[in-house]
Amino acid sequence: MRLSAGVFALCLAPALAFAADYVGSQVCRTCHPDIWENFYRNPHFKSIASGKAKPENTGCEGCHGPGSDHVAAGGGADTIPVAFSLVPFEKVLDTCLRCHSQTLSRANIRRSVHTQNAIVCTNCHSIHSSQTPRYLLAKRQIDLCYTCHSTVRAQFSMPFKHRVNEGVMQCTDCHNPHGAFAPTWRMANRPYMVEQAEANEEPCLKCHIEKRGPFVYEHVGVRVDGCEACHYPHGSTNPRLLTRPVVFTVCLECHNGLGNFGPNNNGITRPGPYHNLALPRFQNCTTCHVQIHGSNADSFFFR
Amino acid sequence: MRLDFESVERALACNGAFSPRSVGRRLKPPLQAKACSTLFLLFSAYVFAQPPVAPTDEPTQPARGDNASDYNVLQSWEMGYRFAAVGGDSDMYRSTVNYTDGVRLLSSSLSIQSRDGHGHWFDQMLFNTLGLGGDPYELAAFRIEKNGLYRYDFTWRSTAYFNPALTISNGEHLINATNHLQDQDLTLFPQSRFRLFMGYSRITWSGPSLSTVQLFDGSGDEYPVFSNIHNVQNEYRLGGEAQLFGFKLNALYSWVDFKQDPVTNLLVPSPGNNPNDLNTLESFTRTAPYHGTSPYWRVALFRDGSKYWSMNGRFTYVAGQRGFVLNENSFGTDRLGLPTLRQILTFGNAERPAATGNLNLNFFPHPKLTIATQTSLYNIRMVGDSFYEQYTNSVPITPIYVFNFLGIQTIASSVDAQYRWRPWFMIHGGYVFSDRRINSVAAAGVAAPPPGQPPIGQTNKLNAGALGFRVKPWRYLTIMADGEIGRANKPIYPISEKDYHTLTGRVEYRRKALRLAGRAGIDYNVNSVSLTSFASKARQYSVDATWTPKNWFSMDLAWGKLHLNTLGGISFFVSQLPVNADSYYVSNIQTVSASTHIIVKKRADILVGLSYIQDFGDGRSNPLVSPVTANLPPAFIAAQTFPLRFISPLARLSIPIRARIRWNFGYQYYGYSEQFSSIQDYRANTGYSSISWSF
Repeated sequence: MRLSAGVFALCLAPALAFAADYVGSQVCRTCHPDIWENFYRNPHFKSIASGKAKPENTGCEGCHGPGSDHVAAGGGADTIPVAFSLVPFEKVLDTCLRCHSQTLSRANIRRSVHTQNAIVCTNCHSIHSSQTPRYLLAKRQIDLCYTCHSTVRAQFSMPFKHRVNEGVMQCTDCHNPHGAFAPTWRMANRPYMVEQAEANEEPCLKCHIEKRGPFVYEHVGVRVDGCEACHYPHGSTNPRLLTRPVVFTVCLECHNGLGNFGPNNNGITRPGPYHNLALPRFQNCTTCHVQIHGSNADSFFFR
Repeated sequence: MRLDFESVERALACNGAFSPRSVGRRLKPPLQAKACSTLFLLFSAYVFAQPPVAPTDEPTQPARGDNASDYNVLQSWEMGYRFAAVGGDSDMYRSTVNYTDGVRLLSSSLSIQSRDGHGHWFDQMLFNTLGLGGDPYELAAFRIEKNGLYRYDFTWRSTAYFNPALTISNGEHLINATNHLQDQDLTLFPQSRFRLFMGYSRITWSGPSLSTVQLFDGSGDEYPVFSNIHNVQNEYRLGGEAQLFGFKLNALYSWVDFKQDPVTNLLVPSPGNNPNDLNTLESFTRTAPYHGTSPYWRVALFRDGSKYWSMNGRFTYVAGQRGFVLNENSFGTDRLGLPTLRQILTFGNAERPAATGNLNLNFFPHPKLTIATQTSLYNIRMVGDSFYEQYTNSVPITPIYVFNFLGIQTIASSVDAQYRWRPWFMIHGGYVFSDRRINSVAAAGVAAPPPGQPPIGQTNKLNAGALGFRVKPWRYLTIMADGEIGRANKPIYPISEKDYHTLTGRVEYRRKALRLAGRAGIDYNVNSVSLTSFASKARQYSVDATWTPKNWFSMDLAWGKLHLNTLGGISFFVSQLPVNADSYYVSNIQTVSASTHIIVKKRADILVGLSYIQDFGDGRSNPLVSPVTANLPPAFIAAQTFPLRFISPLARLSIPIRARIRWNFGYQYYGYSEQFSSIQDYRANTGYSSISWSF
């Protein structure tokens, strides 16, 4: 039956072919009706609907390559010029980027950590068995990401976390899985694949707009080492996603007054003698230093 | 401000009927079985992320949808009642879970698709919602598109945030606010060589909160006050993209307006946090409007497709500017018990222009070799000037003029090489050099603006190298390992990265219905200071397995260990005597996640799952007995570790009643308990009963 379908398709091919080696999607339909019947839902159907795209950019052969050999052979994955399950990962990347490199968000895909580890388009996107109409993801986004990033999954299961599992946020709100430009905080080398807000700022500021500033009195640590100097961005066992269960250890580990740290090379200010750290009221630093992310009215962030 | 539109996928994924493959249901039996199997596999994947127990994801409508004219329509709705019964600390429950009773439109999805790609007004329309009607996390997403002409996306999100922060501010910084976000994007000629973008985003953050004020001097007291949060940000975007001679030029300009108008009041007279002193506060009012703009430019030029090279370059410029006025009136008694009336007025401006340049070049000199270079430049300047005036009992202090400057310049350059020696083996390595200079000026003038003064600078240089490989010795087995080592000569903070190294190894076995994976990673950092040395050791391990042996059965099991151990030097005062000591912290978190999905003869879908988090701390049984250091105030010893447990089993049942109707019931338990204190512990029984249908 498969052979007869192939022979039929081969006979039909000359009439429908766009070029010598391209047979057209209608021929593919003969043996792959399950894919074709619902293909109008697929964003790639645009290439067929327009009727203007070149054969090498149209329909099935736009991705899989010219199909005449496949038709002549009566099928078989090894006769498909680009069978995505068989070709090396760099071929997958090259094929998809023929069209999809036009978006700025994918400009860094060649040097992304995902590509370095052979994680390319078809590892996350499923063209014919997608679960999402947008972006054609093979699974829900968090399921895709959690597949490899299992420790991140654990972080999002903490008591305090960003609401990713709840569905109101996504990994891509902060990350660009296709690779990002160098971060503009810390030493511009890490973290990887973090998307920037407002063109060049830390992504936390996309939503935490009141932390953004600018302020007359900036908390230098926020601007230099970023929010993650004090907070775990994914999830934490501590309120406000802090790195420590109480706030005074967060502060004191930098504000110890010693060494030549700090922007002025004279150490990070140590709490003065009137801070009796044995008393609970001095242990909640932000009770007085309420504007800890930056202030316009007070150099000690009191107001 | 623009959020990623992809968040809508959460809602979209609730409806597996979008799967193109699902059309097989009306095809011949083998294809139908294959399509159903595929559908099931997709649905079963849903359980792995262990989301809250609603909504369900079983399909209710025919997978192929209904045809109307030249369009195909798919839709489903799930409506039901959610319940939550909480015992223990309800504030903690609201901080961490927050689901409440009530009728909800748990989810909905609508898809209208042109069948020939030539719809009159549109070719695709998608509309999805999640949690509408009162859930703390709500989402609505809409897309409409006409092939080749336009694409419009709209996303709206709402998050109810509640957090008293009991352990870090004694509950005096409670926030009970709502965050609304919306993004609208219109793309004209989306498939053309010339495209136009327009967008609008709005974020609001509003609601009541508690805060504190410290008055009237350094020996004063802290007073709890009520503060109304009201933050609004509007962003307007306009841009375009053109393809010329193989290059793509992308330009975007945006206007961002920010507005913050907090009002802070004392509701009732307060003796302050220290009732034993003479400080009191009788009345307090503060208004502090804070408005400004942050217009930004982004211009990018990029090219891909050449056999031997690709490139991208980007320039961004953000010109943040804010103006502020703060007016504060307070009346009470000072530390001597004397009546004190104080008024503070301060106003000024702050600016933060930031520019970024990136140039990335990729070379492919050989089919097996990729060389990627990156150069980035980041320059940010923060300039603030303000005027401060204060009256105490009608006696003014001399006005103070402040000028602050903080500048950060970072130049980073890296090169990475990747060599694919064999299809089953590849190796990559790289080198990073980064140079960051920080300049700062902190100047104040009494009665007159301060004279200019040269900035003080601090420079840090980082050299880092990375090496990794990926090997596939067997078609089902993949092994990956990566490492990075870095040396910085002058980090700005004791906890910043100085001498660090990371190692990560991953093994994955994937064959048919079984997937096994293991990962181990370490991230060590040593940053010496004169007092002692700060050392951070983070170790993470995980093992997970996924098994789908039958189309009616799947299971998922994962274990993880997140271990963090830090030791740093701290210095502080106790009763005006200096204390130098070590800050020691251990977090030893173990997590288990498991779920099983069973379909009982197409008559019932059953899901059971478990999420288990436990921080074992450093193993101590008494919070005040440290295994490491003892010469510290009790609070410091107790803060060295924070063992707790957070457990959440769930179960879900979904039964088809008719062809297009299902009844669903879900239950999820949350149990939070700390080892050394039960004040924040809670237990919550939550769930829902719902009907999902299509029509």
